[in-house]
Amino acid sequence: MSRLQLEEVRKSFINGDTEEEVLKGVNLTLREGEVTALIGASGSGKSTLLTIAAGLQRLSEGRVIFGDQNLPDLSSEQVRKIRAQHFGFVFQNSHLVPFLTVEEQLSMMMDIADMKGIKQYKQTKIKEILDQVGMSHRLTAYPSSLSGGEKQRVAVARAIIHEPKILFADEPTASLDSTRSRHTMELIQQLTKSFDMTTLTVTHDEEMLDYVDCIVKMSDGKIVNA
Amino acid sequence: MAWKEMKKNKAKFLIIGAIVFLISLLTFIISGLANGLSQDNVSLIKNMPEGTFYMSEDSDDSHTQSHIDPQKLNETMKEDENAFAFSLQMGALKTESDNQQSVAFLTSTETSLFTRVDSGEVILDSSLKDQGIKVGDQLSSPQFQGTFEVVDFIHNQRFNHSSVAFINQKDFNHMFRTEEFQIIYSPQINEEISGLKAFTKNEFLSTIPSYQAEQMTLNMIVWFLIVISGMLFSIFFYMMNVQKIGMYGILKALGMRTGDLFKMIWSQMGLLTCTSLIASALISQTFQVFAPDTMPYHLPIATTVQLSVVFFVVGFLGSTISGFQIKKIEPLKAIQQGEA
Ligand SMILES: Nc1ncnc2c1ncn2[C@@H]1O[C@H](COP(=O)(O)OP(=O)(O)OP(=O)(O)O)[C@@H](O)[C@H]1O
Ligand SMILES: [Mg+2]
Repeated sequence: MSRLQLEEVRKSFINGDTEEEVLKGVNLTLREGEVTALIGASGSGKSTLLTIAAGLQRLSEGRVIFGDQNLPDLSSEQVRKIRAQHFGFVFQNSHLVPFLTVEEQLSMMMDIADMKGIKQYKQTKIKEILDQVGMSHRLTAYPSSLSGGEKQRVAVARAIIHEPKILFADEPTASLDSTRSRHTMELIQQLTKSFDMTTLTVTHDEEMLDYVDCIVKMSDGKIVNA
Repeated sequence: MAWKEMKKNKAKFLIIGAIVFLISLLTFIISGLANGLSQDNVSLIKNMPEGTFYMSEDSDDSHTQSHIDPQKLNETMKEDENAFAFSLQMGALKTESDNQQSVAFLTSTETSLFTRVDSGEVILDSSLKDQGIKVGDQLSSPQFQGTFEVVDFIHNQRFNHSSVAFINQKDFNHMFRTEEFQIIYSPQINEEISGLKAFTKNEFLSTIPSYQAEQMTLNMIVWFLIVISGMLFSIFFYMMNVQKIGMYGILKALGMRTGDLFKMIWSQMGLLTCTSLIASALISQTFQVFAPDTMPYHLPIATTVQLSVVFFVVGFLGSTISGFQIKKIEPLKAIQQGEA
């Protein structure tokens, strides 16, 4: 079953006088419970595609279908709401909020997603997710006292605490060493299965492809084999 | 969340709070001094209730050249029982030990505002106490043959930067060779008296030459201070938020409402300015109590509140401007900046 569908997506940037087409008609379907990896040369348009799919930037032409809605047709407030409630994000850098503890990071994400619930429920939920990423012993730690791998695991926990339908990860392992990268990817794959999410990840690292269900290669703004 | 950040970054917020505190304290103290100086100039008039001052039409807007026809005075006082007439002239008083002080001699018809003084007696502004003058002292004046006995002191009665000396009308007329009063005062507002020129309290104050020039200088000083410290305020709040623009971008990417970010900025700014302003207001008010009598310092609560409101609004504007910066940023940019 498809969760997110991109149809004939085109995106151009205007650089001075020249208009450069970065995405030249991309069709892509992301299926439920699957991790899809975007690979391809630098500058081929992977990040652009991911951010357009995630509603973080507007496209020039085409459709992005989530459920029964076409994201380009929605207002930015509607898109924000979808992002907050149904999308999760892991960035290349963990981008944790420096002044919040691990626990507070997650509780903040639950607030952003407008998750109703009593304090106790929230706390159990936070513990549960942190157990899954193996970080429940650092509940009250600040990001500055965590290692790179630990930060990224907290970032993954933050990305899924609100049980999003889709997880977007742009090079989530790029700042980690090989063992930590494997752990993180393994975690993402396992969580995708257990929460029945749909995951789109960009990666440069061939090794990481062991943990994905579907590989999509991009070249010069097009998908070459799906 | 705003609060959590302040708790984590105590040092940073303390520094900003301290800056806000110091700047506002500086402004409060300076305006207290400026205010005190103008109070020192004309507290006699300033302390009178709001009302109307009348001078003769040929007075050229100067009280020393004004003379009120006694008949007119009688009529006015009959009609308006709260009205009274008074006169002011600069002069000097000399103690037995030859210490000469410049004073403003004041005399008036009977009124509840000023105490009655008998001929040969004088009531002085309390600032002259610091010159060693005591109740019972005999003072002479170059303009007066006899001596004045000091019978009492009263607070905050200054005119033309000099202490006011209340004397009896007879002595006054004798000293300055006049029979007529200079000014009629009535607590009523907006009453015309034919043949006399009416002034509001502020208009009357500005007929005093030393007051007008001085007031302009002092106002300039205070307003410059307010403008500059206001700018400093907003710049600090702006800097504080611009530093965090990356983080705000990430929060927006995660789906946080721009409105919630604004709330966060505002609550931090509000908390910071409120605490700092309250602290500096308290200190500047305490200073008022402990300031030596000879130091002209006068900071009414109303002025403090006004200044605080100005600072608050300015801080609010500063943080709102940086808020707009945040409204503009693309979440995407923030993510990519983090990667670079
Ligand atoms: N905001 C922008 N303005 C102009 N050009 C842009 C912008 N964003 C991306 N591009 C251009 O689009 C092309 C694709 O960029 P994109 O970031 O999608 O590549 P990528 O495949 O993610 O590369 P990498 O593997 O290096 O991350 C690049 O040539 C880039 O210069
Ligand atoms: Mg990229």
